[in-house]
Amino acid sequence: MINLIGIVGTGAVESTNRKLLQYMKRNFSTQATIEIYELTNLPFFDKPVSQTAPEIIARLSQKIVEADGVIISTPEYDHTIPAALASLLEWFAYTTQPLRDKPVMITGASYGVLGTSRAQSHLRQILNAPELSGLLMPGREYLLGGSLQAFTAAGELTDVAKKEELDRYFGDFMQFIAKNR
Amino acid sequence: MKLIGISGTNVDDSATTLLLNFIKKEFSSLAEIEIIDIRQLPLFNESIEIGTSQLVQDISQTIAEADGVIISTSEHNRSIPSALNSFIEWMSFKEHPFNNKPVMIIGTSIRVQGSSSAQLHLRQILDAPGVDALVLPGNEFLLGSSASTFDEQNNLKDTSTIKFLQSCFKNFLHFIQAAEFLNASEEVHFEPGEYQVSAIGHNGKLPMTITVSEKRIEKIEIDTKNETKGIADTVFKRIPEQIVSAQTLNIDVVSGASVTSHGVIDGVAEAIDLAGGDAAVLKRRPKPQKAMEQDPLELTTDVVVVGGGGAGLSAAACVLKAKRQVVVVEKFPSIGGNTIRTGGPMNAADPEWQGTFDALSGEAATLEEVLSQDEKQIDEEYRNDFKDLRKQIKDYLQNGNNKLFDSILWHRIQTYLGGKRTDLNGNEIHGQYELVKILTNKALESVKWLEDIGVEFDPNEVSMPVGAKWRRGHKPLKNQGYAYISALQDFINNQGGKILTDVPVQELLIEEGTIKGVIGRNAEGRCVVIHAKSVVLASGGFGANTKMIQKYNTYWTKIDDAIATSNSPAITGDGIKLGESVNAALVGMGFTQMMPVSDPVTGELFTGLQVPPANYVMVNKEGERFVDEYESRDVLTQAAIDNGSLFYLIADDKIKETAYNTSQQKIDEQVAAGTLYRADSLAELAQQIGIDPDTFVDTITKYNSYADMGNDPEFGKEVFDLKVQVAPFYATPRKPAMHHTMGGLKIDSNTHVLNKDGVIIDNLYAAGEVAGGIHAGNRLGGNSLTDIFTFGRIAGMMAVKGITDK
Ligand SMILES: Cc1cc2nc3c(=O)[nH]c(=O)nc-3n(C[C@H](O)[C@H](O)[C@H](O)COP(=O)(O)OP(=O)(O)OC[C@H]3O[C@@H](n4cnc5c(N)ncnc54)[C@H](O)[C@@H]3O)c2cc1C
Ligand SMILES: Cc1cc2nc3c(=O)[nH]c(=O)nc-3n(C[C@H](O)[C@H](O)[C@H](O)COP(=O)(O)O)c2cc1C
Repeated sequence: MINLIGIVGTGAVESTNRKLLQYMKRNFSTQATIEIYELTNLPFFDKPVSQTAPEIIARLSQKIVEADGVIISTPEYDHTIPAALASLLEWFAYTTQPLRDKPVMITGASYGVLGTSRAQSHLRQILNAPELSGLLMPGREYLLGGSLQAFTAAGELTDVAKKEELDRYFGDFMQFIAKNR
Repeated sequence: MKLIGISGTNVDDSATTLLLNFIKKEFSSLAEIEIIDIRQLPLFNESIEIGTSQLVQDISQTIAEADGVIISTSEHNRSIPSALNSFIEWMSFKEHPFNNKPVMIIGTSIRVQGSSSAQLHLRQILDAPGVDALVLPGNEFLLGSSASTFDEQNNLKDTSTIKFLQSCFKNFLHFIQAAEFLNASEEVHFEPGEYQVSAIGHNGKLPMTITVSEKRIEKIEIDTKNETKGIADTVFKRIPEQIVSAQTLNIDVVSGASVTSHGVIDGVAEAIDLAGGDAAVLKRRPKPQKAMEQDPLELTTDVVVVGGGGAGLSAAACVLKAKRQVVVVEKFPSIGGNTIRTGGPMNAADPEWQGTFDALSGEAATLEEVLSQDEKQIDEEYRNDFKDLRKQIKDYLQNGNNKLFDSILWHRIQTYLGGKRTDLNGNEIHGQYELVKILTNKALESVKWLEDIGVEFDPNEVSMPVGAKWRRGHKPLKNQGYAYISALQDFINNQGGKILTDVPVQELLIEEGTIKGVIGRNAEGRCVVIHAKSVVLASGGFGANTKMIQKYNTYWTKIDDAIATSNSPAITGDGIKLGESVNAALVGMGFTQMMPVSDPVTGELFTGLQVPPANYVMVNKEGERFVDEYESRDVLTQAAIDNGSLFYLIADDKIKETAYNTSQQKIDEQVAAGTLYRADSLAELAQQIGIDPDTFVDTITKYNSYADMGNDPEFGKEVFDLKVQVAPFYATPRKPAMHHTMGGLKIDSNTHVLNKDGVIIDNLYAAGEVAGGIHAGNRLGGNSLTDIFTFGRIAGMMAVKGITDK
């Protein structure tokens, strides 16, 4: 079985990106196990001289190193990714660098129609920074707009087309992981 | 020309900051630049507001008032540092100070290309709808290879670089002038008439009527009968006044009442749109002008009291009773502090009255425990009292009395035993005997004194507040904590006392080495100097100051950065800091009290389903139980912290019926708002809260079987009532919230503040939660009110005595 780490790109109590990852975890459970990580309680990056990762970052990094791939689901705040996610990526770049050559799938949910397109394009540039060097699938993105209305109470996606699009994207990601082994 | 400089990094000695400092110095003749430290704010999280909102508002205000902003950014991972990102998120969430503000971007990087990618991102970010800054086009100033570009005096080395920087800076100053045209006020047109809207208040909807003429908002009327008394009154007065007088919706929210403030502003905005105007235009208009008077406002009085909570107001009342003048200075727009938030019961042993109530089962057993307790465990100073108490208890039990027992000694010993704790470093603490003795001796006198002032107590109910350990609570007949504040306020106003609200005291006034009053600042930003012969500090504890709690904490293994609080946001330890400025000694600062079952976001107690502990079923984020739900507050709190703080109270339809805090309408509203979860099956409920359904169903099955057996082999719960079996099922998210701070200024029995050498600090008194030493490691529920009214009165009397003795 493929092991994936899912990262919710915000520390907010209510997040449709968390819902999206929880949906993927259930829906793709026959293809992969997805362990979801939260940004709550992560320390704010402050570039310590010691260059060592705080315990909680070190643990998450280890999980990522052991996993087959990572899914980051990001909200869009002010045309970019939330600071909480940026802070996590700074820790990674500055200390453990676990994303190096790791397949990464980016998804995003936002309340508005554009579905985090600008945040995702920033995230791609960020993951391309030499210290991060995540492996991204070219040409694929998943933008879930109108995310407040996108889920049923049971956490299912309401829109069939959006569901199928995610199935395809996830299938491609599985192949991408296989190819990059 | 006033500019703000922001260094977009949280790294010490960064070139980004050096560059900004250089600009400030080099161009000081062209503009005044104030540098804001963005590191004061925690990592942005839209779910935490408490503890930061005041700071966010203050910073936002500073930016809003400036003519322009210079942002210096580093580059992290091809983008801006999270520190700067987080800062902009704070400044675009509730507040929007960058709206139409001229901004100049500069940047550095250790690589040659010098933050070019970060600067591009920053331009896009500043262009986002919630930010809406006016960014200076072109003039891209990138300082590459930054480590080697400054000399020892932190000046830029290269003269051509300085020249280029200067030309960019001058272009920015031109740009600011050009921007003024853009910001010139836009006209509005309304369809004259009255418009009915309803705004969202704290306790539901607020019907409002807004009257407009062709060009102006003429009148705003709000129906406030559903709002919490006291707390939001200022909102309903001040915000409509400001909107009407300045014809703008760019209004500061009232501190401590932001929900209601936004409710009013949004309601008016809705009416404007209904009237065919454009609320967005009114939101872009400048804020109401604050009268910037240069001269301080000076007042002279006998006694000045810092803080308008229960301690401060009772001190002030005693000063007036002694025929002296008093001024109470209150930080917030309305008085009351934490005192107004209480449920009201105040502990005082009154055996005659309590003896008219029947004893409850279990009470005799508690008394018998005292008889079997080892006397040697009692600290020496309390031992004689302990022996006398035993005699009283023996007599009582022998007489076979079936009425409620109490005595001053029993109150004293319970206060002492309840407060005795050991911290993580092995340091033991218990209440200072002299202070606990006064507290318990004078408790009933304080109740009578309050009756005299006009507080009516309920003679038919002897209550036991949460964590009080005994039934000796005197409860105001009406209005809970508000009863005390309103009666004291009326008394002070009628007796010629003065209460200044909206004036945080910032410094003690010191003349020739002695304290001669206080210095604060009013809502218009004007300095307020109050000359007084005695100063009483009664500013409450520091339960709303997470940084301060973390700094001193020695009791809990972890204090979450995002911890919520049940306290008023004003309670930030100001009085303790004022004391420290004159070398006051502090006592017991490491000990704080938390409420384990609080709302994770607001810290409130009365959201979700609050049921009796016998019906609590607590599960952690893994869907497992983790503690005996019947445990004390301390144990529940530490267990929650060990399990990552967030946990859920699970209920079924029958347990829901035992909730004492809510109604079906509130439940439905909270489910819709996503702050309470409801589902028709346990598995579905588990999915909603993101826990594994199998684990969760298993946990509940086990719990139900324990309830059947009346015994819990896992955590030892012994008291059960209902099982979790009837759909629909509920999950209430909970987290421990900061509730009370026991430590504070060290005082003697006459409430004089003592310095670090144990010597009285002249003219300085302290009472209430700002002082320490009484409750030690744990405060009994209902003892604070006794404390503040007892020591508040003493402080008032001593502050007068200090004057007459001289
Ligand atoms: C939700 C809640 C419920 C509670 N229930 C009970 C209960 O049932 N029974 C009980 O005994 N105790 C209870 N407590 C504890 C009790 O309320 C407090 O310990 C007590 O009210 C403290 O009184 P105080 O006068 O010292 O401070 P407060 O009542 O908090 O008043 C302090 C005042 O000082 C002002 N202030 C702060 N800084 C400054 C400054 N720099 N300049 C000017 N003014 C300033 C504040 O705005 C505030 O108005 C409860 C506490 C809370 C939060
Ligand atoms: C500070 C802040 C800035 C925001 N900026 C944007 C933005 O630029 N573009 C956008 O589509 N949504 C923006 N939003 C709203 C987001 O769409 C929404 O919060 C998020 O993307 C949805 O994901 P979530 O449900 O996981 O939080 C912003 C929200 C906040 C709190």
